Amino acid sequence: MLDAITKYLGSNATPGEAGSMLWATIYILIITVGISLAVISMNWLERKILAHMQIRLGPMRVGPHGLLQPFADALKLLIKEDIIPENADKLVFWSAPVVVVMTAFTTFLVVPFGPTHAVTDMNIGILFMLGVSSLGVLGIIMAGWSSNSHYPLMGSLRSSAQMVSYEVAMGLAIVCAVLMTSLQTGTGTLSMIGIVQAQASQHTWFIFKFFPLGFLAFAIFAIAMVAETNRAPFDLPEAESELVAGFHTEYSGFRWSLFFLAEYAAMLAVSSIAVTLWLGGWMRPFPNWMSGSTWDLAFSFFPALTLFVLAGLCLLGTVRMPKIPQMKIQTAGLGIVGFLLGFVGLVLLVPAVRERVQDIYWFVVKVAFFMYLYIWYRGTFPRYRFDQLMKVGWKVLLPTGLAVLIATALWGLMPQLTSAILGVLQ
Amino acid sequence: MNLPPLLRKMLLIDLIKGLKVTFNYQAPSEAITEQYPLERPVIVERYRGQPRLKVDPESGNSMCIVCNLCALACPEGLIVVKGERNPVTKRKEPVSYTYDLSRCMFCGLCAEACSTDALELTQDYEMALYSREGMVLDQKALEEGQQPVPYVK
Repeated sequence: MLDAITKYLGSNATPGEAGSMLWATIYILIITVGISLAVISMNWLERKILAHMQIRLGPMRVGPHGLLQPFADALKLLIKEDIIPENADKLVFWSAPVVVVMTAFTTFLVVPFGPTHAVTDMNIGILFMLGVSSLGVLGIIMAGWSSNSHYPLMGSLRSSAQMVSYEVAMGLAIVCAVLMTSLQTGTGTLSMIGIVQAQASQHTWFIFKFFPLGFLAFAIFAIAMVAETNRAPFDLPEAESELVAGFHTEYSGFRWSLFFLAEYAAMLAVSSIAVTLWLGGWMRPFPNWMSGSTWDLAFSFFPALTLFVLAGLCLLGTVRMPKIPQMKIQTAGLGIVGFLLGFVGLVLLVPAVRERVQDIYWFVVKVAFFMYLYIWYRGTFPRYRFDQLMKVGWKVLLPTGLAVLIATALWGLMPQLTSAILGVLQ
Repeated sequence: MNLPPLLRKMLLIDLIKGLKVTFNYQAPSEAITEQYPLERPVIVERYRGQPRLKVDPESGNSMCIVCNLCALACPEGLIVVKGERNPVTKRKEPVSYTYDLSRCMFCGLCAEACSTDALELTQDYEMALYSREGMVLDQKALEEGQQPVPYVK
């Protein structure tokens, strides 16, 4: 048993490559728990940041600065009455959230958190992610249709129309990045880990490659991914002011929270696609400008430093908490969390752990930036009208995507093309 | 920046401007939320809230002389006053004074009609109750006024 565990740690491969069932299970468990925790914290952060952007305070009562609010919400959702409408198609109604959650979580099988930190390294990784995440549309249509109610039906129709039309532009943008992987090596790759390794070997993130082509492809993807996950300003399917709640209007309690979980997991999934394809995946920032082992060492301290800062904030909060009996438990809890974070930070300082964890850290930081962007958009932009949405998708993003794709291909073939033309001229 | 409209659209200038505005508002100190039970709002002087019957602070008797002017002035007819002459002081004193708050629209005509300034609409605003019957205030409730439970965090 112990041998099986340690044997994998010595090897330098993903659990899938090493054929270690045990470690694959451990990775899957860690990723599932990690995503659920991320969704919970996103819930709090989104409400807080959005509130601050709108000059409000957001949750303040449950726990210090409302920190325990997501847990209170989760408890409320779990003990709520679970209603299935009388004329609903029970089986489809029951299975729709399951389909949505499963597709959202399955995509994380191939997300590369580090060179060895992925459940498996599929050679069709990006195709797998796109395919599985597109299956989510099926769940949404199932939810809308089986509810036997007009708002969910209209919401799901809008949602599927939107997701299908933005998938085209998204696919074109992804093909641009995949083309770039083949340029210097001659062999392209669809593997998520391979794409990041291609960026490492070409010494550039694909967002800066062939400027501005890489950036344009990234911009198309960044717009399409917001539409793909039905978030503001493309949140027509769940437009609160028009359709009550879109396709999950008839859902309540735990089933509703499954949809919520799936939406945020899908946001994390597309953000990690964007990070992998254009922002260099697990690579630390400034790999060229600040190269060398000294900089490597300096950057490897970042995970521990972040945790120390968080721990410091927690302890500062503990000190600043009002000294009244009602707040005793909260103060103690915050202090304990602070010390735990500090302890984890200390563990991250150990060289062996540091080397293995810093990849995950940089990946998570980049994904977190995208999650912040999502909230920022929601706090800023008004919702698109349906025809505007379709216009942006089909008349702007699709032609631009095609043009960028062709331009990327031509630019990549530049040496061969020039030599061929010169050959003809001679 | 004076760019041609098409270029503005292509470079998403206006969207970026909007993003900048929301970003700058993020400091929590900017928030104007009032944390109600903890912080109490400032009520303007002329606000008309819960009615109150004044008591003469020296003698402890009600200042109401049962002239019935408030009941007559009330457009809703929600004030009912019954009085009796006190044989000792020869003053008319209210025996029962009821004020149906559920029908009150806080026009303030009763307070204006009061000849002794006994009835006034105070700035108290916490008038929520658990029962409809409780909305009919009797003389005791009117004289005591609101006694909100202080919020302890």
